[in-house]
Amino acid sequence: MHIPDGLMWPITMAIGWGIAIFALAIAVRKEQTTMTNEKVPTMAVLAAGIFVAQMLNFPIVGGTTGHLLGATLATLVVGPWAAIIVMSIVIIVQGFLFGDGGILAMGLNLVNMAVVAVAVSAIVLRFTRNIKTEASVFSAAWCSVFVASLVCGLELAVSDMMAPGYYGITWTVSIPMMTGLHSIIAIGEALITISIATYFLRVYPALIRNVRRAPEAAT
Amino acid sequence: MRINRKRVLAVIVVLGIFALGAVGYWIVSAGMPDGLEQTMENAGIEEQEPVYKAPLDYGGDYPMYILMGAIGFFAVLISALGIAKLMAKKNETQPDR
Repeated sequence: MHIPDGLMWPITMAIGWGIAIFALAIAVRKEQTTMTNEKVPTMAVLAAGIFVAQMLNFPIVGGTTGHLLGATLATLVVGPWAAIIVMSIVIIVQGFLFGDGGILAMGLNLVNMAVVAVAVSAIVLRFTRNIKTEASVFSAAWCSVFVASLVCGLELAVSDMMAPGYYGITWTVSIPMMTGLHSIIAIGEALITISIATYFLRVYPALIRNVRRAPEAAT
Repeated sequence: MRINRKRVLAVIVVLGIFALGAVGYWIVSAGMPDGLEQTMENAGIEEQEPVYKAPLDYGGDYPMYILMGAIGFFAVLISALGIAKLMAKKNETQPDR
């Protein structure tokens, strides 16, 4: 879902940068008041793990692939504000070091994958915290990818409306294609996230937050 | 922050899983488009020349892919460590509210 340069209407990209910087500034401010030395290595290994996980595309239908986004996993492990920072570091390194996603479009990539995906994860986890852990994590992970793809589809549609033929993709293609493909990729995301979260809950339960715990797992 | 065995083990496990997963990636998924690339393809849009030329790419074969993954892994690890450490330091020096 990494948007390359030259695809989006420039003003959409500028708005994306504005939203991304604003959200990142709030996240840093919030985390500065709660960050502890114990959380530092967890955040770092989590970010690095998400980076390599994003390199492992899995096939879905019709010769298309998807990969773990990791927003729900990050939200579960370090909480939403730190998750925004974790996802942003991954996206920034991907863009600057490997050219994965455009530099001008990086603001929109940050909005979609670091802000929207994490916000959706946090909201869904909050509203489903009283149901079974697996169902809660599945819903959050699936929704995070689906909504992020919907937002990306809308950005493509807006770019097309503002400069048809030059930027973006018409909404009749962008929205159904992006949400259709990502609704399947999101199942992979959900299954991988559940597997990792379940493993952590078993071996290191204190690492996972925002979910209901079995009495013996609660610490 | 101490570098203890548990943290080193976590790094080794993550990189090991990546190396194994990358085998599957190269056999099955390499060269196939992702969701956005497929959408662009269906709309008849070709990716333009990037504004910024990145110093690295993910590599064209399995060994390079693993190497680039490891480089990226440590680049993200060090960046995140630095940023999180700075925030933790700032938090510690802040007066109690």
